[in-house]
Amino acid sequence: MKTVLLSGAAVLALSLPAIADVAAAKAIVDQYSQLPSFETPGEPFDARSCMADKKMFVIPLTSANPFNEAISQGFRDAAEMVGFEIRTWETQLDPAGWIQGINTAVAEGYDLIDLQGGVPPEFLVPQITEARNAGLKVTATHNYDATTQNAPEYLDGAANTDYVTVGRIIGAWTVMQTEGKVNAIIIGSDEVTPTAPLKDAIIDTIAEMGDGATTQYFNVPVADWATKIQTTVQSALLADPSINYVIPIYDSMSQFAAPAIQIAGSSAKIVSFNGTPFVLDMMRDGDVVEMNVGESLGWVGMAGADANMRLLCDQEPVGTLNTPAYVFTDANVETAGNPANFNDGYGDVHIEAFRQLWQLD
Amino acid sequence: MNMTPSDPATRAREEELTKRIAALEAKLSAIESTRAAPLKDWKTVLERGGLVMAWGLLILILGAFRPEQMFAWNSYATMLGSNAMIVVLTLALMIPLVAGDFDLSVAATMGLSSMLIGVLNVKMGLDIGPAVLLAVASGAVIGAANAFFTLYFGIHSLIVTLGSGYFVAGLILWASNSNTIAGISMDLVNVVILTRFLGVPLAFYYAAALTGVIWYVFQYTSMGRRLLFVGLGREVAKLSGVDVFRLRAGAFIASGIVAAIAGVLYTGMRGAADPSSALAFLLPAFAAAFLGSTTIYPGRFNAPGAIIAVYFLSTGIMGLNFLGVDSFVQNLFYGGGLILAVSVSQLIRGRKPMD
Repeated sequence: MKTVLLSGAAVLALSLPAIADVAAAKAIVDQYSQLPSFETPGEPFDARSCMADKKMFVIPLTSANPFNEAISQGFRDAAEMVGFEIRTWETQLDPAGWIQGINTAVAEGYDLIDLQGGVPPEFLVPQITEARNAGLKVTATHNYDATTQNAPEYLDGAANTDYVTVGRIIGAWTVMQTEGKVNAIIIGSDEVTPTAPLKDAIIDTIAEMGDGATTQYFNVPVADWATKIQTTVQSALLADPSINYVIPIYDSMSQFAAPAIQIAGSSAKIVSFNGTPFVLDMMRDGDVVEMNVGESLGWVGMAGADANMRLLCDQEPVGTLNTPAYVFTDANVETAGNPANFNDGYGDVHIEAFRQLWQLD
Repeated sequence: MNMTPSDPATRAREEELTKRIAALEAKLSAIESTRAAPLKDWKTVLERGGLVMAWGLLILILGAFRPEQMFAWNSYATMLGSNAMIVVLTLALMIPLVAGDFDLSVAATMGLSSMLIGVLNVKMGLDIGPAVLLAVASGAVIGAANAFFTLYFGIHSLIVTLGSGYFVAGLILWASNSNTIAGISMDLVNVVILTRFLGVPLAFYYAAALTGVIWYVFQYTSMGRRLLFVGLGREVAKLSGVDVFRLRAGAFIASGIVAAIAGVLYTGMRGAADPSSALAFLLPAFAAAFLGSTTIYPGRFNAPGAIIAVYFLSTGIMGLNFLGVDSFVQNLFYGGGLILAVSVSQLIRGRKPMD
C-alpha cells in the first residue's frame, strides 16, 4: 500500500512540468573547472616543535593500488617537510594485514594510527579499542563523506572527503551537456562507504536541475566489477538506446563500462570521479570518457597529515580534507601529464600554503 | 618417434604396443558409439542436446517477459562478442581437464598476457603485432613451467597451478607497478571488437574457430585421441605405450597458449590492461567447462559443449539484466544453473558417478 502511495506521488511529481536549470549546472561546472585554491583548514601552529617526539603510522587500504600509494606519498612528503617519523604499512587488501599493522604500531610505540583511503574501521573495532587503550590515537583519512556521514565514536578523528560536491559536479555536467535531457545509468558498489552519498548527490542533482531526466542505478560489488559491469551496462544500453550518459561513480570501473558502450554501438559518454591516471589517458586518447572529477592525492595526503598533527598537538580538530575537486576534460587533460599521473594538473599551491600553516619558515 | 626397429624383439614390442593402442581406440569408440548412438533414442537426444534445448527454453521464458530485447539479433550479436574471451579461457581450462589435470593458473596467465601487451605496446612502444606474439609466448612458458613441476616432481597439478597462478599474479603487479594501462593500439581493438561480421564482433569468430580446431584435434587426430586415453585412465594408457608424460606436458603448454590468447582478446576488447580483473574469470570458466561436459559428448570435457555452456550462462545473465533484477540474482543463476543442469544431466545418464 505504502509503495502504491509512494509511486503515485512519484508519478505526480514527474507529471509536473519541469524546467531544466542549465545555468545553475553550468555555474557549478565552471566553479570547479578553475585551478584549485587553498582554503586554510585551521590556525597556523608550530608543527616542527610539537611533532619532534611523535611518530605516525599509516595503514593504507592496500599497497597494491596507485591511489592509496599516492596518498601515502603525500603523508611522507609532509613528514619530511615537518621532520617527524612516519611509517607506511604494506598491506594487500586483507584484514589480517591491517590487524597486524595496528599491533605493530602499538608494540613499537607510535602515537597515531591512520587508516588511510578506505580501510573500513568497522572491521577493526577490537584492535582499534586496544590501541586507544594503549594511548594511541586512531584516525581515518579519506573514507567517510564530510556532510552526510559521521565518523564513529571509536575513532579519535577522521579527515573526510566532500563526496556530495563531487556528485553535484557530475550531475551538473550531464545536465549542462544535454540541456537537461539526461538519460543516465549510474553504477556504484553499495558496500563501499562513500557510495551512498556520492550516487545520491548525482541522482538528486540530475532530478533537481534536469528536465524530464531519468536515472537508473545499478549496484555491482567491487569483487564483481570485471564480470558484471560490462554485462550490466551492455544490457541497459540495448534495452534503452537513448541512454546518453554512463556514470561509473569510481572511475576505475570505466575500463569495463567503455567496451560495453562500444560493443552496444552506443554514443553514450562516461563521466566519473577519482582522476585515476589511466582514465585520464582514456579521455585524452579516445571519445568515450568525456569528463572526470579528480583531486590531487598528494594534497589529500598532506591534508590528512595536517589533520593528524592537529589532533596530536591539541589544535582544533579538522573534519574535512581541504583538497578541492577539479574538473578534467579534453581541454585540460594534457596538464595531468602524458601518461597522466595522480598529482599533476592541480597546481601546487598547497605545498607552500602548508609550509606556512605549519610555520616551517 | 618413428624409428625403424633394429631387431625382432623391438619390432615385436612395437607391434604389441600398436595392438594395445588399437584396443584402447576400440574401447573409446565403443563408449562414444553408445553416447553417439541412434538419435532416434529419445534418451540419447536428451542427454546430448539437453543443454541446447534448455538454452532455447531459457530464451523463450525470458522472451515472454522482455520480447523486444530477447528476440532481437542485436542483443545476441553483442553478447556473442563480449563473452568470446570467456569461451577461450574455458577452452584453455578444458584441455588439461581432458587429460585429468587441473590448471588453476589460466586466469592469471590471461592477465599476464593482457598486461604484457599493455607494458610492451604502451610503455615500451613496441608494435602491437610483436607484443601480441610475446604475450602468447608467455602463456607457453607458464604452461611449460606447470608441466615441469607437475610431471618431473610428480606433484598434483592442483597444487602446482595454484602456486603458479599466485606467482604469475605477483608478476603482473610487478610488471604493471599495480597500474592499469590504457591507450593500447586501436589496431588490436579494431580486429577484436570494432570490426563486425553479421553484426557480431570478430572476437566471437576467433573463439568459434578455436573451438572448431580443438574439437577436430580431439575427434580426429591420434594426438587428441591419445590425450583422451590418458584422461580415461592414466595407468592403462601408460601400460599401453602412450607417452603420457609428453601428452600431459603438451596439454599444459596448449592450455597456457590458449589462456594467453584469451588475454589478447580481453585486451582488445577494452584497449586497456589492468593488474587484477582477469582473475575474476577463473570460476566462471570452471563452471562453463563442467557444464559443457554434460552436453554434446556427455561425460567428457569437450569444446562444443564448452562454447554452448558459456553462451547458455551468458544468455541467462543478459536476460536477468533486461529484467532489471538485482546483482545477487546473477550469482544465484550462475551457481544454481550449474548444479541444476548437471543434476538433470546425471538423472538422464542414470546417475552414473562422474569421474
